[in-house]
Amino acid sequence: MIDATAPVDVPLSAVDRQLTEGLRELHDPTSAPMYRARMSNLVIYCDDESHLQEVEASIPQIVSVHPARVFLLVANDSSSSNDVRATVQVRRAGAGSRMAAEQVTLRGGPHGADHLPFAVRALLIGDLPTNVWWASRTPPPFAGPVLDDLCESAQQLIYDSLGWADPHRGMAATSAWLSRFEREGEGGRWRVASDLNWRRLKYWLRLISQELSPAVHPGALDTISEVLIEHGPHAVTQAWQIGAWLASRLDWKIQATKFKKGSEIGFQFERPEHGTVRLRLDRLEEGAAEIRRVKIACAACGELGSLDFTSTGDGRLAVQPEEAGAEPRTLSEPAQSLVEMVAKQLSDREPDNIFREMVKAAHVLVQASIH
Amino acid sequence: MTDATPPPQVVNPLSAGPDSTLLPQPCVLVIFGAAGDLSWRKLLPAVYNLNADGVLPANFAVVGFGIGAEGDPEEWFRARARSGIEKFSRRPIDEAHGADFARCLFYVSGSFNDSRAYQQLKAKLEAVDAQFGIPGARVYYLSIPPTMVQPAVDALKANGLVSSPEEQHAFTRVIVEKPIGRDLESAEAVNRCVANSFAESQTYRIDHYLGKETVQNLMVLRFANSIFEPLWNQKYIDHVQITVSEEEGLTQYDPATNEPTASRIGYYEGVGALRDMVQNHMLQVLCLTAMEPPYSLGADVIRDSKLAVLKCLRPFDENALEHSVVRAQYIEGEIHGHPVPSYRHEVVDFDSRHNIPIPNGTTTETFVAMRVFIDNWRWAGVPFYLRTGKRLPKRASEIAIQFKAVPNILFNQNQNVPLEPTVLSIRVQPEEGLSLRLASKLPGPKVRIYPVKLEFNYSSLFGGESPEAYERLILDVMAGDPTLFMRRDAVEAAWEFVMPVLNHWEHSRSRFLPQYQAGTWGPLEADRLIENDGRSWRPL
Repeated sequence: MIDATAPVDVPLSAVDRQLTEGLRELHDPTSAPMYRARMSNLVIYCDDESHLQEVEASIPQIVSVHPARVFLLVANDSSSSNDVRATVQVRRAGAGSRMAAEQVTLRGGPHGADHLPFAVRALLIGDLPTNVWWASRTPPPFAGPVLDDLCESAQQLIYDSLGWADPHRGMAATSAWLSRFEREGEGGRWRVASDLNWRRLKYWLRLISQELSPAVHPGALDTISEVLIEHGPHAVTQAWQIGAWLASRLDWKIQATKFKKGSEIGFQFERPEHGTVRLRLDRLEEGAAEIRRVKIACAACGELGSLDFTSTGDGRLAVQPEEAGAEPRTLSEPAQSLVEMVAKQLSDREPDNIFREMVKAAHVLVQASIH
Repeated sequence: MTDATPPPQVVNPLSAGPDSTLLPQPCVLVIFGAAGDLSWRKLLPAVYNLNADGVLPANFAVVGFGIGAEGDPEEWFRARARSGIEKFSRRPIDEAHGADFARCLFYVSGSFNDSRAYQQLKAKLEAVDAQFGIPGARVYYLSIPPTMVQPAVDALKANGLVSSPEEQHAFTRVIVEKPIGRDLESAEAVNRCVANSFAESQTYRIDHYLGKETVQNLMVLRFANSIFEPLWNQKYIDHVQITVSEEEGLTQYDPATNEPTASRIGYYEGVGALRDMVQNHMLQVLCLTAMEPPYSLGADVIRDSKLAVLKCLRPFDENALEHSVVRAQYIEGEIHGHPVPSYRHEVVDFDSRHNIPIPNGTTTETFVAMRVFIDNWRWAGVPFYLRTGKRLPKRASEIAIQFKAVPNILFNQNQNVPLEPTVLSIRVQPEEGLSLRLASKLPGPKVRIYPVKLEFNYSSLFGGESPEAYERLILDVMAGDPTLFMRRDAVEAAWEFVMPVLNHWEHSRSRFLPQYQAGTWGPLEADRLIENDGRSWRPL
């Protein structure tokens, strides 16, 4: 029994036939027949050939969670022709599985990016949702027509702001781009965009939300006076997203921005009722691309103090309250590899208004920091 | 309609996630009977999985309550939880998570009748609140025998352990396990005594079947796909079969020594399949299959729709009791090639081991088949066949919707070999999924029609593991969502429906009780019940 067929180069017109042939090849005559398992079309755009190889290694894991017809695209192929070249492979959706997932790699040549959306369009399975994973490090607002064309019939664009070279510029442009890109409406024309970096923050947001909840710390939400967010050098967007999330959810209005020593940005907000809030984003010199600590000064249970949220480093987030005898409160933060996040995001297509509001607030913060 | 609307959720503008997400609220889960089997096998592994998934609030703890602990009760409880997780959890235990989880496990030893034990429980809960920042919120899981429910809920109230139903932060909710009574009268008594301490909005009557993915998918299948609902009525559906088949008997044996290792006889004898399976699981599934579209996804709107089905069930009259219901008991036979004893033998063996006087015989049914009708516009004349039994050939549960045959023209002219009708089969266990049997032309020059099956299997298609039913249900209680729980009026309506059958059997105790060999699909009488209608049980 084989788990995957060998990759076969075929003309575009023969892709479907070769996929069927691959399914036959996978079938072990001594066992039950193979089924095609396809929950969606997954179109993945890569920056270059080495990036494609890296992404390709993650496909088996993605399809084991979310079986799909996968299209791997790369524009800047080394071949001299601008024609799109197709390579087809069929693999089991998990070792020993009777479900088969299909992979079509499309290489577009040095100037072939424009041709890729045409090639993909002809090979999409019509009745299934289309997800585009923009694996490129170029922020979607700067991606140009190739992204627009690829997303023409997609319901979801998945991108990751973690690797952006200029996160401030990327975030500043995201708000306007997002309101243009996302659409609602009938006839299956709706479309959402999902940032994996936002997904990474899920457990941080959950823990902060729980601890500041009126049920746990009455009055804390209304008395926040200072927030410090410490983050690894490559987790700038995550820090901005947490700050923007707090500002948007708690209706803080920005008053002033100040810079301090290059690694820290400070903002001052006005709370809806009265009082001010200082937000400090502190970029640490080294460390992983993650949030390390969020410290929130507030009057929890009527007493001034702070809630100190940290990552324990062993799969949990913790907050140590200042009350005597209190146990640290922990929340599991299941390890989320990039691949797992993509796989889960594929079926998580509900429009996220909190994300949209956060992006708008982040735009305001970035603008304030520039001017 | 009973007022079971939960109080509004605590407003927290930071509540992360899409608007539709119901988040579990900070609380202590208090497991009554925490030393018991259900807690060990299901509840503690379920809570561990929720913890490891990062779904539980950080302000959360579990307090076990009851007798049975040995040595240091808390150490014993933590060790017990660990062994349950190691043995039954869908995910292996992770040392770091396991240690963190153990930190929030506590135990209070005491009898459910002892007021002092409740004072100790109260003191422990207050200490745990302070340790974990829990706002006095409680979920009491009554994993205890039915006879202990009344003393437990009375004592909770008497000792100030029940808050007002309007309380938002320091809420109190109670989960009541089946069986809710053993007849209508006792069910009403249980409901009354629970209602003396808890409002309906605080009461969650659990039926773990309703937490299974496929059962939840029933509503999605019906109301999120436009092709089914127009056909979902007496005009197009010939009949419906709901089967819950179990290969296990009431006693587990060690295959090497043939010695009993566990037994449910103590609970099951005198209860039987009708009370154990039909009155709750099967009628709930029947309701989801047959209900009218609710006008919203509100918990009480859905539960009203389900109740309407129970109210429309045609009551059994004398004739129906004779011809539409079959009960039976298994005799010795074989399961997977191993000889297994009769139910009667298991009862005698259990009684002798527990020094219980051995009765002359037992008339407890281990198998029930019945034909029921729903007298409303949608289902007029469509029989619903229900069957459930122990020691059947395999473990399989499904809901099968058999559509009417096509006319005897075109491809269905040969009445000696009629076309197999279209069947939509929804599998609840062991492999959750669904299939649709259709007629298709075989390749070739001749027109040969052959049935083909379109299959959808949850675990294969969606990958990963589905959460256990108890995980979903515990989470729903913590979030204050009663949709998947049985409301008082529905429980009582279900009892009302089965009471004529129970009374009929009660009055004919000495009369004939059919038997079936273990490892077969039930007695001949059950086959006749459906074959007299020109139909047959589906092979599973």
